[in-house]
Amino acid sequence: MSDETKERETGDVDEARRDLLKHMGIASMAGAVALTAGSADAEAAVFQEWFQSHYELMSEEEKQECIERLETRYTEEYGKKTTVSNAPALKDVLFGYALDIQKCIGCRTCVHACVKENNQTRYDPEIQWIKVLKMEKGNFSFSEEKLDKGYPETDRLGNFGIQVGGNAYSPVGVSGETERYYEPEKVPEKDSFYFPVQCQQCEKPPCVKACPVRATFREPNGVVVIDYNWCIGCRMCQLACPYEARRFNWGEPNLPPEDMNPKTHYYGNRPRMMGVMEKCTFCLQRTREGRAPACLEACPVGARKFGNLLDPESDVRKILATKKVFRFKEDLNTYPKFFYFMG
Amino acid sequence: MFEMNFRSKFSKMVFFVLCCFLIGGVFAYRSAYSAKAEPAKTQSAQPVTNCFESRVGYTSVERVENAVPEYGYPNVKCSQRTGKVVWWGDPYDGTIPMGEMPAINDATKGDFAQAVVKPREPHLAYFNMDPVRHCAVCHDGKTVPFSKNKKPRTLAMHQDIVEDSLQLKHGRGAIWCLDCHSATNRNKLIDHQGNEISFNQPQKLCGGCHGAVYIDWRAGIHGKRIGSWVTGGKKRWWVCTECHNPHTVQTASYDPIVPEPAPALPRGMKNADHERSEHVAHKK
Amino acid sequence: MQKLVSFVIDFWSYAFKGGPKYYSWLLFLSVFILVGLYTTYLQLTEGLILIGATDQITWELYISNFIFTAHVAAAAVLVVIPAYMYKRKDMKDLAVLGEIIALGFVTTGMVLVVYHVGRPDRLWHMIPSLGYFNFPNSMLTFDVVVLTVYMILNLIAAYYLFYKRYVGEPLNKIFYTPLIYVAVAWGPLIHIITAAVLSSNARMHAWSTAVLPFAFLSMAGASGPAVIIIIFLIIRKYTKLQIADSVIDLLSQIILWSLGILMLVFAAEFFTALYPSTEHAASLKYSMFGHNGLNAYVPWFWSIMILIAGSFIALLNPKIRKSYDRFLPAVCAVIFLVILLEKPYFLVFPAFSPSPLGEYTVYYPTFVEVSNVLFCWAYGFLVLTLTLKGAIGILTGEVTYTNRVPVSKEAAYAISP
Repeated sequence: MSDETKERETGDVDEARRDLLKHMGIASMAGAVALTAGSADAEAAVFQEWFQSHYELMSEEEKQECIERLETRYTEEYGKKTTVSNAPALKDVLFGYALDIQKCIGCRTCVHACVKENNQTRYDPEIQWIKVLKMEKGNFSFSEEKLDKGYPETDRLGNFGIQVGGNAYSPVGVSGETERYYEPEKVPEKDSFYFPVQCQQCEKPPCVKACPVRATFREPNGVVVIDYNWCIGCRMCQLACPYEARRFNWGEPNLPPEDMNPKTHYYGNRPRMMGVMEKCTFCLQRTREGRAPACLEACPVGARKFGNLLDPESDVRKILATKKVFRFKEDLNTYPKFFYFMG
Repeated sequence: MFEMNFRSKFSKMVFFVLCCFLIGGVFAYRSAYSAKAEPAKTQSAQPVTNCFESRVGYTSVERVENAVPEYGYPNVKCSQRTGKVVWWGDPYDGTIPMGEMPAINDATKGDFAQAVVKPREPHLAYFNMDPVRHCAVCHDGKTVPFSKNKKPRTLAMHQDIVEDSLQLKHGRGAIWCLDCHSATNRNKLIDHQGNEISFNQPQKLCGGCHGAVYIDWRAGIHGKRIGSWVTGGKKRWWVCTECHNPHTVQTASYDPIVPEPAPALPRGMKNADHERSEHVAHKK
Repeated sequence: MQKLVSFVIDFWSYAFKGGPKYYSWLLFLSVFILVGLYTTYLQLTEGLILIGATDQITWELYISNFIFTAHVAAAAVLVVIPAYMYKRKDMKDLAVLGEIIALGFVTTGMVLVVYHVGRPDRLWHMIPSLGYFNFPNSMLTFDVVVLTVYMILNLIAAYYLFYKRYVGEPLNKIFYTPLIYVAVAWGPLIHIITAAVLSSNARMHAWSTAVLPFAFLSMAGASGPAVIIIIFLIIRKYTKLQIADSVIDLLSQIILWSLGILMLVFAAEFFTALYPSTEHAASLKYSMFGHNGLNAYVPWFWSIMILIAGSFIALLNPKIRKSYDRFLPAVCAVIFLVILLEKPYFLVFPAFSPSPLGEYTVYYPTFVEVSNVLFCWAYGFLVLTLTLKGAIGILTGEVTYTNRVPVSKEAAYAISP
């Protein structure tokens, strides 16, 4: 008892704030719901939205209410009738993606199609879920003068040391260096490879493990989703992701209403708010209804393939069976469901 | 005396500190607002209305607003920079069923009942505007006589498509125009056994020589399909000539295109010159 | 109850009394607090876009400073250990000052973490019954638990002792001694957990090293006593509390050893990275030599390393260690600043380049960010100053229940139940 009083009166802001939230939460949860139940008032809706729990822990009625609140809010904000789908995960489906790096020409159409489909903020900050990396072929710096120049330097043994191509001072090849801000006249450029990267939807996602509130988790079809209303914005997941797949809404998103896609899903492309994480969801709003993701449809060379890994007749399974396939950063044991192949 | 010093010293300090606060507050206000970047021009400039789907000059699509009224979707959304279609509101717009597809082996088995393509035959009218007879307007055997054989020779016409018919960029001299185009019916393609093939189904012709690619294309590994990802679902297939220009394939299997804009630089970085290095030794 | 109320009143009214230098220090801190309040408001409304963090470098000055406060908070037990475990008479009274310093720095750290989070209004999502607490999967949850427990431990330990001193009663050793021992063990634990939060990320090659907890603890052992020495020297000079020279000597010895271990840890890390010179060493090479014209962190790296080695060499000299008026506080201030600046400019910002996809970036802090960091530090130092002042009042015997400020009977009965 006395300890508690001491805590209150020592002026420790954090402890007092935490206590306040706790008491406020418990006491006013019932009150708030009672006060605002059934009210379509926008302010009451925002109030209720703040109190909502984790989506997966809600009852069916709560989910329905939540969806309606969001639809009302988005429709008002963007001036067009917005639907927020609640479509559940499909049965017996495990989504897989395959990308043909032999074909990719680095045109970035997929990047922009994704942006047109998924309601990212357009500026301040600009968010794009897909990054296309350009890698140049190694530089062959062979030279006759260097042929017998060893490393380390000459010693009693003669000029023989560690030779790497030319020699270790002019290494051959490229590693760890990529470009992403390239702006040539035409793509593909000579002697360049292109490598698009987006969320790999890992089976052992480091981001899911790192999240302190489980706002991000793997749903039954294998897609790692984020509950945007639950995320606290601590960015531990962004720190943990080895593929740089996650994007943060640093400021209030700037999405012009004419660019907004009104067909949304709760876990997919519904417009996000300031301070929450987002990333590729394999176009959940489309794939749960049988349509291919936007990036796949955009690719002009047909480098992207998508399907159900549990269906042996799907494109992705056929690729896994017949092509040379690899996973990105396999050594990190994240078991991604995004496969790169050479077709 | 101590009190006097204390008071004047103290009040001087207070005054100084308040000035700092005032100046600091002004700076805080101004710097805080200059820390935010300028709002860039949005993409909501007038949307591009005439877009190309696969190759520039091959097919074009007019943007139609509200083509999918349920969501207010236009039929396509196109790139501001290149005019390429980037997003389809209605993926099956303007398509017809693909028709029968010859199977080759087990790998090419599948359910293609719902496959659709965008027809190419209506574009034959492009050359002479005759919507019915198309190429037969000139190639009726009288105005332009039918060829007796398929020996390569110089052509007087169609140099806008193929500059020099003896230098056709397909097969390094092994293929010539009439190996694919029917000598007697220019509205159709023809295979090596003399069967006529519609321009809507070039895969029947191309697949005859390019068998490995055809197998991959039928399996869905090669080429582009939009629509449903479900096996047996309705998909719009891109046929061979939608991506590959058969008259210049030797130069480039897929012609280079203008890329879409690069992403924004991270805040504070002035340029991306550091990533454009010559890949020699890491210069210290 | 009445004793408790008068304890609080006496403690805090003593804390606010002081001479002109004391008030000018408080006023100096208040300037940063006032400016910081405005920039905090800006950050709360406009969001984290006002700070320099980007998707490429996602950790900002807040977390860098938080790690430093965890250094000092963990190291404050180094004052408690000699007093309780080694039973040194000269440090008997000073242990509780160590707890106060730990408390101040932990509070500062927790406030910094609230600034780091994108949605502070949703922090209640971490409360186990109301929200979902992803323990034990997420290392951040471990950090939250250990920091909260450490804060509570120190609060109880310090204020219990003050209250008992104030009313002149002896401590209940059965309750107090285990509490102290747990607090002593907990101090390094918070820092090991903080290191685990960093080293648990396989993608950060610079942090995914087994040596990180040792680097952190040795930096804690260097920077913590440095802060404590400065505080003790100030207390010695301006208050009546006696602090023997032997206390300062012990702390400077601890700094010396910690710096030595730190240099060994760095040497091990640099060797392991640079001998085979694989891509895993890329971010260290970026720190040391820059990359393709991006040289922002090179001067920081070399100055930090030279100053650490220089401080070590300086402290080896007993004349400097004994120079309580000039050289020792100067060296301690240098150590404090060097390790403080090493956090953002060596540990955090260069570690994000190259990114997992091979991108090199530089971090540009903004004014709002710096102002908010200064706000947190000013708040922390304010709390620390006031609490230390009150503590000194209790420890010197100036503030006791018998000496209390008389309160009228009516007012007294009005407060107590």
